[in-house]
Amino acid sequence: MDQRLYFVLGDLALNLGAGALVGWLAWLLIPAGWNMWLAMFVAMIAGMLLASVLFVPASIYLGAMEVMIPLMLTGMLAGMVAGMRGAMGLVDAGGAAFEGAVSGLACIVAVWILNNSLRGSQAIDSGGSCDG
Amino acid sequence: MADSVTRDKWDRAAPSFDLMASRGAEIRWRPAKEALFSRMGDGQILFAALGTGLDIPTFPPGKQITAIDISPKMLEHAAPRVAAYAGSIDVRLMDVHEMDFADASFDQAFTACTFCSVPDPVNGLRSIYRVLKPGGELCMFEHTGSRYYPFRPMLDLMTKLTEKLGPAMNRPTVDNVQAAGFELLEVNHVYLDIVKTIVARKPG
Repeated sequence: MDQRLYFVLGDLALNLGAGALVGWLAWLLIPAGWNMWLAMFVAMIAGMLLASVLFVPASIYLGAMEVMIPLMLTGMLAGMVAGMRGAMGLVDAGGAAFEGAVSGLACIVAVWILNNSLRGSQAIDSGGSCDG
Repeated sequence: MADSVTRDKWDRAAPSFDLMASRGAEIRWRPAKEALFSRMGDGQILFAALGTGLDIPTFPPGKQITAIDISPKMLEHAAPRVAAYAGSIDVRLMDVHEMDFADASFDQAFTACTFCSVPDPVNGLRSIYRVLKPGGELCMFEHTGSRYYPFRPMLDLMTKLTEKLGPAMNRPTVDNVQAAGFELLEVNHVYLDIVKTIVARKPG
C-alpha cells in the first residue's frame, strides 16, 4: 500500500463513501421481494457503473489505477450485498449504506494486502506470461 | 502514412489531459518514475510519446533527449515544460510505428504510459528496437493487464469503454517487449501486477 498519509486516508475515505453510496442506491433500486440472485446481479452491475462514474472526479486527486481497481471492486461488492439483502427485506436504507461502507472497507483492505504481496521486483522467466 | 485516428483521439484528449492525468497519478507515480528515469545516461535518449510533458519534471537534468508524439495538440501543451527543462529536449511530431530516425540512433529509449495507447504495440516496440543501438536499453513505466481474477476481467471490461477515448487497460506489455525481440532485464511491480516498470535490452 502507498505509505503516504494523503493517499491512505484518501483511498480509505473514497471506498467507504462509495460503498455507502452504492449500498444506499442499491437499496433504493431493488424492491423487497425480488429474486435475490437477480437483485444481486442487477445491483452488482449498477454498483460497477456508479463506481466508473465516481472514478472520474476521484482520479484527479488520488491517481489512476490505484483508484479504479478498488473502486470497481467496492461498487461490485457493495451492490451485491446491499442488493441481495434489500431484496430479502433484511435491511433498511441506513443498514444498506452501512453494509456498503463495510464492503468498501473490506475491498480497500483486501487490495492493500494483495498489493503488498505482488509489488516489488519480479523474477524474470523467458517463458510464461508476465501480465494480462 | 500517419495514423490519423490515433492522432485525432489524442488531439481531442489534449485540452483535458493534464486535469485528468496530472495531480493524483503524477504524485502517486512520481517516486517510481524518478527511479526509472534516473537510469538516463549521457548518450542519445529517445522518449516515446511525450504527451503534454507531464513526465519532464521527473527527468534528471542535463540529458540529450529526443521526444516524439503523434499528437500536435499534445506537443503544444508540452511546450512550456520542454522550455523549462534544464537540458536538451528535441521534440518531433512522429508516430512510433513509423519513426524516420536511422537504425541504431539511440543508446536508450524511455516510455511512460505509452504502450497502453499505441495501436499495434509489438510493431511499435519493433520500431524502437530498430532505432536502438545494439546493447541499447528500453526502460518503460506502463500499466498493463493483470494475471489475477477479478482484476483481469475488470480490466478487459474497462478497456471496452476507455479504448475509444484513450488507453487500453489490458495490454500484455511485458510479453510484447519480449515478442519484439528485447531481452528482459527487470520487471518491477509498482501497484499490484498492473502498474510496473520494465527494463529490457536490445541484444548486441
